[in-house]
Amino acid sequence: MSMELMTGNTTTAVAGENKSVAEYVQYIVIRLGVEQYGIDIRYIENIVRMQQITRVPHVPAYLKGVINLRGEVIPVMSLRLRMGLEAEENTRSTRIIILHLEEEGNVGVLVDEVKEVVELNTEEIEKVAYDKGGKQSFISGVGRHNGELISLLDLSSISLEENA
Amino acid sequence: MDVSQYLEIFLDETKEHLQNLNTQILNLESDSENMDTINEIFRAAHSLKGMAGTMGYKRMQTLTHDMENVFSEVRNGTIKVQPEMIDILFQCLDALEEYTNNIQNSADEGTNDNEPLIKLLQGVLNGEKEASEAGEKPAAEAPAANATESGSEEKWNEIALDESQVTVLLEARKQGKKVYGLNVRVQETCLLKAARAFLVFKAVEEHGEIVVSQPSAQDVEDEKFDRDFTLIVLSDANLEDIIKAAENVSEIEKVTGGDVKLPEAPVESKEMQKQEEDAVSVKAPEAAKAAPAAKTGTDKKPAAGKPVVNRTVRVDIEKLDVLMNLVSELIIAKNSLVSAAGQEQNNSGFNEQIEYLESVTTSLHESVMKVRMVPIESVVSKFPRMIRDLSKKLDKKLELYMTGEETELDRTVVDEIGDPLMHLLRNSADHGIESAEVRAQRGKPATGSIFLDAYQDGNNVIIEVRDDGNGIDVKAVRAKAIERGTITPEQAETMTDKEIINLLFLPSFSTAKQVTDVSGRGVGLDVVKSKIESLSGEVDVKSQLGVGSTWTIRLPLTLAIIQALMVVVGHEKYAIALGSIQSIEDVRPDEVKLVENKEVISLRGCVIPLIRLNQVLNSESSKSPEDNLNVVIVKKGDMQAGLVIDELIGQQEIVIKSLGKYIRQCKFISGATILGDGEVALILDANALI
Repeated sequence: MSMELMTGNTTTAVAGENKSVAEYVQYIVIRLGVEQYGIDIRYIENIVRMQQITRVPHVPAYLKGVINLRGEVIPVMSLRLRMGLEAEENTRSTRIIILHLEEEGNVGVLVDEVKEVVELNTEEIEKVAYDKGGKQSFISGVGRHNGELISLLDLSSISLEENA
Repeated sequence: MDVSQYLEIFLDETKEHLQNLNTQILNLESDSENMDTINEIFRAAHSLKGMAGTMGYKRMQTLTHDMENVFSEVRNGTIKVQPEMIDILFQCLDALEEYTNNIQNSADEGTNDNEPLIKLLQGVLNGEKEASEAGEKPAAEAPAANATESGSEEKWNEIALDESQVTVLLEARKQGKKVYGLNVRVQETCLLKAARAFLVFKAVEEHGEIVVSQPSAQDVEDEKFDRDFTLIVLSDANLEDIIKAAENVSEIEKVTGGDVKLPEAPVESKEMQKQEEDAVSVKAPEAAKAAPAAKTGTDKKPAAGKPVVNRTVRVDIEKLDVLMNLVSELIIAKNSLVSAAGQEQNNSGFNEQIEYLESVTTSLHESVMKVRMVPIESVVSKFPRMIRDLSKKLDKKLELYMTGEETELDRTVVDEIGDPLMHLLRNSADHGIESAEVRAQRGKPATGSIFLDAYQDGNNVIIEVRDDGNGIDVKAVRAKAIERGTITPEQAETMTDKEIINLLFLPSFSTAKQVTDVSGRGVGLDVVKSKIESLSGEVDVKSQLGVGSTWTIRLPLTLAIIQALMVVVGHEKYAIALGSIQSIEDVRPDEVKLVENKEVISLRGCVIPLIRLNQVLNSESSKSPEDNLNVVIVKKGDMQAGLVIDELIGQQEIVIKSLGKYIRQCKFISGATILGDGEVALILDANALI
């Protein structure tokens, strides 16, 4: 876990030196299956390796349970299940990203892999139109990096509890 | 001298002294000859005076000085304790409390001189009626706003009018206008006092002009008044019309009115002078007497049987919280050592050290907990005074008997428990205790008794509020519940009395036939219940019609760290608080019977329903149906249930952690804890399961 953190920090530091802050936002790129998603780095508290998750009964399926993070009990959810994808398999690259949300406090999300930190120019982020016939959208926009498209996760829609 | 650094100590000690005075004066009322009590009051007043003087609070000093004088005379036997005097003294205490509150809020005692009170006190000293009359003269300021219970009805005559106001009023009177005083009292349950007051102002202004308001219109608007306010109105209209207009505003309890006595200006100043002369002539010999009196006071201190005060250090509660958290961490660390040691069984020296560490952490935990414990006395000691006031207000004879004031609870719990207890006591006084006539008919003693008992029971503290009043009329509750649509008549048929009584804890449910200002209109018992549940406690009521009711509050001794039984259900570990566990039983499958299609076992003559935890928790049991069942018997009040688990692990001290806001609290899970190996285990709430 510390290794990942280090990488993250270094990138931040380097990036901080050679840019005017206002137009760039840093995102951590994660992988879910074959798709790549970006999470705004300002909401990320920590990234830890997969560990023992204690199941909590009578909660929605995407809530995997709770973990112990240095004495704090933190709920963990499966991002795949939350977004209506297939359940994940735990692999060596599976990580739990600890998000710090204003309303709910710390919440962990399970992702298949944490890839890199990228800087996106806010002007290049395209807003996505709401379509898909009322299906909840978890994407706040799409960014472009080295020719690849990165969907940016809308954390507020993820954290809202399902009303189903 | 800069005294600001002593302000906190001053406030703490002042509050202690005031509480002490309240208690002692109450004693004095019932036993007016008791020299110990009088000495104690004298000493407390004397200390208050000294402290106020040192801190430079002149008004407070003056008031306590005069109180002290009165007690000194009482002690010398020159004057006897009279009921009116007790009332005056209580008003003084209220006024002192107001000073203290002012000081706490702004480090300033405020500008209220409380002259009428001082005059009343001097009147007591002189044994003359004159002074009490003087207290009602308009030249004097109104007494403290919260001294309402015993204050005079004609408050408008106590309002301090400055010269220009008097001139305006006199001028208006000359022109044939009427000068009325109005005293408006809002209902206690009124939520938006300021809004109601505003409507009264508006209604009155349609009939005349409001010249003076006490408290000021601004304060009234800011809700800076207790329950009543006084107006002086100039009008051509009838007094009745104005009162009616004001009473038409809803949630206004009472409006009284009358003509304002307006003295001619010269007369007033003469009287003032006379009073001042009186005051001076009294003060001179008093001061001389006070000095030796104070000395005897200190000399007698050990003789009066007052317990020697323990040496104390005042500690910021946040520091204690930090200490507590550290102890929690230590316990987690210790638990992980214990589990590591369990895996390597060959090293006995290591195990010994672990055991030693375990005993040290346990006692460290206990002592930290004890530091946070305070006797509930600090909360309950205000109740005798409250019951006394209620007794006057409700016109019922009431007596409060308290035991176990020394019972200790966690500071945070003690701070929160005051309101629920107060509510239950008011409830007993208002709804419980019958009117004098009914009591006489039933052959009960004229004085209604209310009991407040506190004691420790295992890991819990029990506080009982008991009365010998009417008890709960189950039929009335049932009828009311049906009428309100809370339950259907069919449901009512099948519900037991106990279930019906529990309906009382639902929001907005009150059976009081009349809404009085003492106990409200159904906002209450549900608040009591939710408050106590937020402290992880429970509240229960037993009642017998015509005999009385008992309200039982059960609170855990500590909130953060508990002893728990660790169990396994379907390969998952869960903790059950030891406090709710009665016993653990080994049950053969054929002992399980079916009653109404529910599994029960018969245990020592009791039929106990079984709850299969693996079903509740949606997990697979690791046991086959032929195996004996491990059953943990838990109790909640008089109810019992058997929780079927797969395996027992053992008893362990656990640190309670919140599950976080994100996971909407699952009903059966009261929190989580971190085990020695770093794994998280959930804590089962046995109460919610039953």
